[in-house]
Amino acid sequence: MIELRNVCKSYNKGLLRAVDDLTLAVPPGEIFGFLGPNGAGKTTTIKMIVGILAPDSGSIAIEGRDNRSEPLACKAVTAFVPDEPEIYERLTGLEYLNFIGDVYGVPAGLRAERAGRWLDKFELSAVAGDPIQTYSHGMRQKIVLSGALLVEPKVFVLDEPLTGLDPRSAHHLKEAMRGHCDRGGTLFFSTHVMEVAEKFCDRIAIIHKGRLIACGSLDELRRQAGESQSLENIFLELTEP
Amino acid sequence: MKRLKALLAAGLRQNFGLSLLKHKVLQGKKDLWLVLLAGIGFLSLLPVLVLYVRGLGLLFGILRAAGQETAMLTLAILVGQFFILVFGLFYVLSAFYFSRDLEFLVSLPARPFEVIGAKFGVILVNEYLTVLFVVVPVFVVYGVMAGKPLGYWPLAALVFLLLPVIPLALAGLLVMAMMRCVNVSRKKDFLILVGSLALLAAALFLQLGLAGTRSPEELVKFFSAADGLARLLGEKFPPCIWASRLLASGFSAPGLGYLALFAGGSVAVLLLLLLAAEKLFYRGLIGLSEMAVRRKKLSAAALASSFASGRTAWRAILRREWKLMNRTPIFLLNGILSVVLVPVMLFIMVRTSAGSSSMAILKILGSGNRLAEILFAAAFFVACGCLNGTASSTFSREGKTFWISKVIPVAPGRQVTGKFLHSYLIAGLGVLGGLLAVRLALGLGWKSILPAALLAFVAGVLLTATNMAVDLARPLLTWTNPMRAIKQNLNVVIAMAVDAGILYGFYHVSRLLRRVGFAGTGLIAVLFVILSLLAAASIFLLARFADKRYTTIET
Ligand SMILES: Nc1ncnc2c1ncn2[C@@H]1O[C@H](COP(=O)(O)OP(=O)(O)OP(=O)(O)O)[C@@H](O)[C@H]1O
Ligand SMILES: [Mg+2]
Repeated sequence: MIELRNVCKSYNKGLLRAVDDLTLAVPPGEIFGFLGPNGAGKTTTIKMIVGILAPDSGSIAIEGRDNRSEPLACKAVTAFVPDEPEIYERLTGLEYLNFIGDVYGVPAGLRAERAGRWLDKFELSAVAGDPIQTYSHGMRQKIVLSGALLVEPKVFVLDEPLTGLDPRSAHHLKEAMRGHCDRGGTLFFSTHVMEVAEKFCDRIAIIHKGRLIACGSLDELRRQAGESQSLENIFLELTEP
Repeated sequence: MKRLKALLAAGLRQNFGLSLLKHKVLQGKKDLWLVLLAGIGFLSLLPVLVLYVRGLGLLFGILRAAGQETAMLTLAILVGQFFILVFGLFYVLSAFYFSRDLEFLVSLPARPFEVIGAKFGVILVNEYLTVLFVVVPVFVVYGVMAGKPLGYWPLAALVFLLLPVIPLALAGLLVMAMMRCVNVSRKKDFLILVGSLALLAAALFLQLGLAGTRSPEELVKFFSAADGLARLLGEKFPPCIWASRLLASGFSAPGLGYLALFAGGSVAVLLLLLLAAEKLFYRGLIGLSEMAVRRKKLSAAALASSFASGRTAWRAILRREWKLMNRTPIFLLNGILSVVLVPVMLFIMVRTSAGSSSMAILKILGSGNRLAEILFAAAFFVACGCLNGTASSTFSREGKTFWISKVIPVAPGRQVTGKFLHSYLIAGLGVLGGLLAVRLALGLGWKSILPAALLAFVAGVLLTATNMAVDLARPLLTWTNPMRAIKQNLNVVIAMAVDAGILYGFYHVSRLLRRVGFAGTGLIAVLFVILSLLAAASIFLLARFADKRYTTIET
């Protein structure tokens, strides 16, 4: 469960409002997609949820705990994957996963089993012993995802996780996320791919210029827009400049 | 030429304009206490400057009596060029080969010599800052005391401007040649490390080993000539002699001749560098990031065993710091290696003839005063351990990966424990290195070394924590060239100034203690207690500061 209440965030000393009075609840058990044009404030919102940025005002709760007064409790149940896989290049994939396992306190036995599974699915087993420096962009993304999946947290927060993944890896990831939500977990992710949002998400939020302009199931959005349009048309209509 | 100018302008802007501005302005009021601390640190350096100038005045008097005053210029220029050569090796290696803008630069329609020319220009400007404090006071003291005419000053400025060109271009040539050779192998990181150490050793040897031993008759011969001492000092590196004679003779026929030699030599070496860039640069650069990889599927058993242990968070962080530092050549050179290097340099220096005689003088001065011996040794150990960039770049080094530190469920205070242990480990190695050097090179007795080491280990805690606090207050996380995170990081300089200030403060504390009647073991014990209290407080405050500060660092 993620709850944002009246969250605001501006850059450049208030000159640029990136997120404007955002109130949003991401219930557990539902795949929640976050859409919006470039620069709408998706990444900013996500970074506030995981504690990289602090909101100017408003509050954010994860699993019912405020992420500023109880940051460690929130971080312990959250795994985050950023849009750019900037990680320790000089470590090997295995060392990185071990580091993540250590700091999240994943027991060694579970770690080997989960890491083995994901390295296999993402076809990284052969390179896991090499420095991350030698990985391609997609491989880096997959090692960050593996780290997040290693933790098996209650809450996943993913910034454009499907961009740059090959079809097979994307398929495995979607399957895993479906399973995670079916078990009652929470998933919040941003995407630019309308088909993914349409077919994969149970609930969709659209943000535009920092403001939430639509939120609900696909059917609810259709009703709100008036006709039985595709999500793409709804999106284009709502975010018209 | 137009492209070269554009590249140079872009490089300078990136290196100085933007980043400095960011450092200064963006961090606003929170920096105030730091500015204050740094101010105190720099102020504490002021007496050093005054001492330096006074010492130069004395030296001038002595040299003039022997008719050897130009030796002063030669010495200053030699030392300046030596520093530039040694540091230049690092700068050049990092800027030419490890900067992340290279991929972009190489893709531009610019020739190799233009890329290298622009990068060279940026380093050159950096070097002026390095030599400013060493060379300019000498030029001024000499000019004033020798009563040089007005014409001396523009020439001095010219020499100052040309001074770094030859050694820096030499460093560039050496590094490019090395990289060309190294780039054929798969074990590049390792070879680069070995190669740069070899170059460094060569540079050190050239400067320190050259004194050699000479018969007294030879020495007398040198001294009887008008600028014999200058010639003796600079004989292995003629440009120093040209420059100092140029300054000594001013606008006269021989002076202009030396001007032609010095300026012509600088231009020639620079041209050589650009020419070599065309031949060597890309072949050393392309494929550099290619690394030896295994690409062997891990068996389930191997995988399980690599995950066998579960560590506590601070140990995981300590391991991460250790690995990241040691596997990034630039960081390694500035961390452990610089810590090892200082004692080695001292050792070599003492073994040269000039060194051993000055050491003998030092020993005579120090003998009989055990307390002074202990305190000086302690200060030296601390310098060996703490005057490197490890602690003062510990947050900056994380760079764009800092988001990981912000999202992991480990309290910043605890993360900092792991980071502190890493920095302190290196400081401890430095103290041990200094200890060995003092023991082996100077033969200092254990009765002085042990209490000094005790003091140094405790002071190391205080300085390490302070250095980390400086970096935590204003971490530089946006770098693309790892050099920016450590060697060209303003935090490292500020931290060193603050360290110097703290040591200076303790110098006064010990004087005060003496004045109120403490002596010998009693004084050491009191110092130890004060240091211990401060050390404990500094660690506690650092953790608290981290808990506060981590939430406000936005990436
Ligand atoms: N570090 C920053 N400093 C200043 N402004 C920023 C910063 N990061 C983002 N912004 C601005 O905040 C706004 C929102 O950016 P954000 O990255 O959240 O968009 P986004 O929805 O993730 O876009 P995209 O789809 O391109 O990833 C943009 O106008 C952007 O220019
Ligand atoms: Mg984004």
